[in-house]
Amino acid sequence: MKISSAKLWIALVLIALAAVAPLGISGYWLRLFTFIFMWIGLAGSLNLLTGYTGYLDFGHVAFFGIGAYTTGVLMVKLGMPFFPAMLISAVLAGFLAVVVGIPTMRLRGAYFAIAMLAFAEAMKQVVLEFDGITGGGNGLSLPIYTNYQFFYYAMLGTVLLIIGTTYWFENSKFGKGLMAIREAELAAEVTGINTLYCKLIAFGISAFFAGIIGGIYAYWMTFLYPGDTFSVLITMRMIIMAFLGGAGTLLGPIIGAAFLATIEEILWAEFKYTYLIIVGFIVVFVVLILPRGLVGLFRQRILAR
Amino acid sequence: MTKNFGNLIALQDVDVVLRKGEILGMIGPNGSGKTTLFNVISGIYAPLSGEIRFQGQAITNKKPHMICRLGIARTFQIVQPFGQMNLLENVLIGSMYGRGMSIEAGRNKAEEVLYFVGLKDKMYLTANEVTTEDRRRLELARALATEPQIILLDEIMAGLTPAEIEEALKLLYEVNRRGISIFMVEHIMKAVMTISTRIIVLNYGQKIAEGSPKEMAENPEVIKAYLGDRYV
Repeated sequence: MKISSAKLWIALVLIALAAVAPLGISGYWLRLFTFIFMWIGLAGSLNLLTGYTGYLDFGHVAFFGIGAYTTGVLMVKLGMPFFPAMLISAVLAGFLAVVVGIPTMRLRGAYFAIAMLAFAEAMKQVVLEFDGITGGGNGLSLPIYTNYQFFYYAMLGTVLLIIGTTYWFENSKFGKGLMAIREAELAAEVTGINTLYCKLIAFGISAFFAGIIGGIYAYWMTFLYPGDTFSVLITMRMIIMAFLGGAGTLLGPIIGAAFLATIEEILWAEFKYTYLIIVGFIVVFVVLILPRGLVGLFRQRILAR
Repeated sequence: MTKNFGNLIALQDVDVVLRKGEILGMIGPNGSGKTTLFNVISGIYAPLSGEIRFQGQAITNKKPHMICRLGIARTFQIVQPFGQMNLLENVLIGSMYGRGMSIEAGRNKAEEVLYFVGLKDKMYLTANEVTTEDRRRLELARALATEPQIILLDEIMAGLTPAEIEEALKLLYEVNRRGISIFMVEHIMKAVMTISTRIIVLNYGQKIAEGSPKEMAENPEVIKAYLGDRYV
C-alpha cells in the first residue's frame, strides 16, 4: 500500500496538531491523550507481530512488563538516567522475545498463544520471586518526575516510530515475506523464505516497542506492581484494539485503540458501574458486523483499484 | 531413500534419477507415496535413510527454503496461495525470496512470469478472488519466479476440464523448452502419458516400474496395481 499525497498531508497535519497540542491542554486532557498514545503504541506493537505473521501473542504484556521493570530496576538500583535505562530495557525485551521465540515459534496457532500466556505469567513470578531487586509484592517506586509533557511526547514519538515501522512492513520485501507466512506458512517456506528467521525478527521488533512503552509507563506512573504490570488484561486490550481496528493494516491499531480508549473514557464518566458491560457490547457488535475491523470498511475499496 | 511415519513405511528404497531437461512423470495409486517423495525432496520431511543429490551436491538435510534457493521449486496438490495478497505479490515472493531479488527487480520478474502463465491482467486481484484454475496457474507462476532448475508439480491438472488440460500441457512444454526439468505427479493418464519422456510407477511406497510411457502402459505390474489381478 502506497500512501497518496492527500493522505500524507492529512497525516502531517495530524502529527503537527499532536505536536503542538500540549501548548493548549494540560492536566486531565494531557493525561488522557498520553494514555491513548500508549494504547495505540501497544496495539501497534502487537500488530507488528500478530497482524503480519498471524502469530497471536497472548502474552505480549510480558515485554511491556519486562520494559517497565528493567527500566525501574536500572534507575532505582543503579541510579541510571531514564533514557539509557529505557533503551536497555527495550533491547532486553526484544532479545528475550527472540530467545523465547526459538522454541515457541515452531508452534502454530493456539499452541503459540498458550505458550506465550504461560511466559507472561512466568515473568510475573520471576518479578515476585526476586523481591530483593524488584520489590516483589510490595511494588517498586521510581524517582518522581512530574513533567507530564515529557511523557506525552515520549509516547507520541514511540507511536510515530511504530507507525513508521508498520509502513515499512507494508511496503518492504521483509514485510511481504511476513504476510506470506501469515497466509500460508509452508508455501512461504518452500518459496525460499527462511520462515523461522523472519518470524523471530518480527517478534523481536514487536517486543522491542512494547518494551519502550513499558519503560516510559514505569517512569510516568512512578510505581510498579507485578499484578498490574503483567496483567493479562493488558494483552487482551492490545488484541481487542488491534482486531477492532483491523489487524495487519497500518491504520487498524491506531483507529481501534483510539476508538476503544475514547469510548471507554466517555462511558466511564456517564455510567460509572455499567460502562464495561456497554463497552463489551460495542466490541461484540463491531466484530460481528465488521469482521475485518473498522479499517475493513475502507479496505475493500482500496483493493478494488 | 526410505521414509517412515512411526511404524508405517511410506517410502521404501525408492531410487529416482531426474536427468537434466527431461520430463519425468510419476504415477501410482492413492497413498502410494508420491506426495511424500516430493515432501522429502523439497526438505519438508527428512528421510529415515538414503540421500538426495542435486547437481552432485548432497541436499538431504537442508531446510525447504534452502532447497528452493538452490533451484528446486514445487507446487502443492492442494493449492496454497497467499490468499489475501494479490497475484503480483504472490509471485513476487518467489522472485524476491527464491532468487534473492530486490522488490523492484522481483516485480519485473513476477510480471514477466504472470504474463507467461496468462495471469497478467488479473495481477491486482487477490488470490482469494480468482478461480481454482487460476490458482493452479498461480502456483506454477510462483514456483517459476524462483527461476528453478527443477520443478516438482504435484497434480497440477487435477480438476481441470479437457480444454484446460490442453492449455496446461502447452504451458508445461514451454516451461520445459526453457531448460527447466520437470518431475510431475499426475493422475490424468492421457496428460502424463503424452508429455512425459519417462515414467516411474510407485505402489505401497515402492518403485515397481520405470520406463517410457508406452512400456508402462503395457507393463503387467503396473496394470495389476491400477486395475487388479484379473486384468493382467
